[in-house]
Amino acid sequence: MMPELFAALSPQDWQAIRLTLKLCLYTTAILLLLATPLAWWLALRQSKLRTAIQAIVALPLVLPPTVLGFYLLLLLGPHGAIGSTLERLGLSHLAFSFSGILIGSVIYSLPFAVQPLLESFRRMGPGPLEVAATLGAGKLDQLFSVVLPLCRGGFIVAATLTFAHTLGEFGVILMLGGSIPGETQVLSVLIYDHTEAMNYAQAHQLSLGLLISAFVVLFIVYGLNRRFEREAVL
Amino acid sequence: MNNIISNLKSTVISSLTSAMQQGWQHFTPERQASQPPAAQSLQLQLTVKRGAFTLELNHSLSLHGVTALFGRSGCGKTTLLRAIAGLDRHAGAQIRCNDVIWQQGNRFMPVYQRRIGMVFQHSSLLPHLTALQNLLYGFKRRVKHSTVQLEPAQVISLLELESLLPLQPEQLSGGQRQRIALGRALLSQPELLLLDEPLASLDQQSRNEILPFLQRVAHHTGIPMLLVSHQLDDVVKLADQLVLMQDGRIISQGSLPQQLLQPELAASGAMSLLYAQSQGCNNHLLQLSIGKQQLQLPAPLSNTGTQTAYRLRIQARDVALSLKPLNDSSVSNQLKVSISGFNNAPHPAETLVQLELVGQPLQALLTKQSAERLGLQVGQQVYAQIKAVALD
Repeated sequence: MMPELFAALSPQDWQAIRLTLKLCLYTTAILLLLATPLAWWLALRQSKLRTAIQAIVALPLVLPPTVLGFYLLLLLGPHGAIGSTLERLGLSHLAFSFSGILIGSVIYSLPFAVQPLLESFRRMGPGPLEVAATLGAGKLDQLFSVVLPLCRGGFIVAATLTFAHTLGEFGVILMLGGSIPGETQVLSVLIYDHTEAMNYAQAHQLSLGLLISAFVVLFIVYGLNRRFEREAVL
Repeated sequence: MNNIISNLKSTVISSLTSAMQQGWQHFTPERQASQPPAAQSLQLQLTVKRGAFTLELNHSLSLHGVTALFGRSGCGKTTLLRAIAGLDRHAGAQIRCNDVIWQQGNRFMPVYQRRIGMVFQHSSLLPHLTALQNLLYGFKRRVKHSTVQLEPAQVISLLELESLLPLQPEQLSGGQRQRIALGRALLSQPELLLLDEPLASLDQQSRNEILPFLQRVAHHTGIPMLLVSHQLDDVVKLADQLVLMQDGRIISQGSLPQQLLQPELAASGAMSLLYAQSQGCNNHLLQLSIGKQQLQLPAPLSNTGTQTAYRLRIQARDVALSLKPLNDSSVSNQLKVSISGFNNAPHPAETLVQLELVGQPLQALLTKQSAERLGLQVGQQVYAQIKAVALD
């Protein structure tokens, strides 16, 4: 065993850990709010647009993160459509900022939030909602009394997968955010920096930490998945 | 570990159940429940095109008691029912219930605002709720906005649900689930109950278990019911009126006994429905009267003696005719009737004789040869021998 694995983490490491957790939590919260109506629409509506939307949602799965990061940089940067508009409004552009990488990771993790929700909405089907409606439940009431309890598994899996996927994000952040401590330097980027600077011990500490926490999160997801599948069979 | 969990589960369930039971203790029978509406009038104007199928209606349905929406599979019954419920929205449709507009132009009253109760073909219990929670799902939501016409305690005893309440939907049989679904619909305080083939997904035994409950609901609650069915057997046991649909159109509507004379319904075995009053029971024989005429039938073994009116289902092939009363026959039920007409029977050698008995129609299936031999004519008085009757 390498004794340096158990050495104290530096303030810079702690800062990156805090920033990473913040990014993961924000991304998960925003994505649950965004992906729920989107997955709902995809699951229950018949529309010509559906195929196109589904393909767009799945794009981050196949594109290299650098491509995504590159286009976001163009769009959100000082000369991009969104970035320059913000500048004209007296705000700053979004490249190399926390807001920027937050937007990037929301887009990058979108399929991981939409897919499990879509799956569980499809499994539920429109039947229970029709039943609830004939019994006097309005839309919001249906969401809380039928959709949330019946698709609980889908929501939990979507949240954990989004969290875990954001934890492992690297390419988009490096392209869009660079490596600004406290602003865009998340764990994956910091590990890269440590390695570049030949600080193998510190890189190892953080890598091992990420490896273990990713394993734990996935272990929980698959455990939950199995449990909800069993429930669905009953 | 499993033991602990299951113990915990049963404790939670039993405490929940007893809490709920205490909760409805205040629904004593004395508390005056308001009477449900006796009749509803539905105005429908609806065109639905789906591939080669077209549903086209412009009708007014007067609903009281049980109205059967009858027709073959695929004739548009369920489409119509779903449009009435508001589950499907068809452009250009006009639907009004009494004076309330449910759909017209851009106005569309959403399902949850329509005062309907619906029982679906397949088990529709919400899987994450117990039978009791399912039962009260609609009650809790509707009772805030309307006067209570039916209390949980009434429905639980009417449908004999007591022992099912703590169970999860997956622990119930198909018939039991439909009973809970029926009770749940009743407790949502509907002014109109829509039943979409509620028996279709059940095996014969389960059907026989739930039919009496549907009859009870019809007798005891007075809520108008619209029953979609393609099984004439079910319809004649339950319905008072029948709306006949064919290829996306309503081709006739009227009282069930009159509608049974329609040739479309005679195709699968003509039958008649007579309403009779009970005069009591003697030696296990039920004494029935229709006008001044008497019938005697073996009393149903479950007979409690409280039922005063009966429905008699009589197959046309179980009715024989004679010109004079027969005294030396084993058939003891003989009714004096008059001939009101003749209809073609599905078989070319047979004829359906239309008879009238104190204003009620009765049909007899004879061979044309027998009819000619007896010289039967419209207006003639004859004696109908009833060989078999099914009682409801």
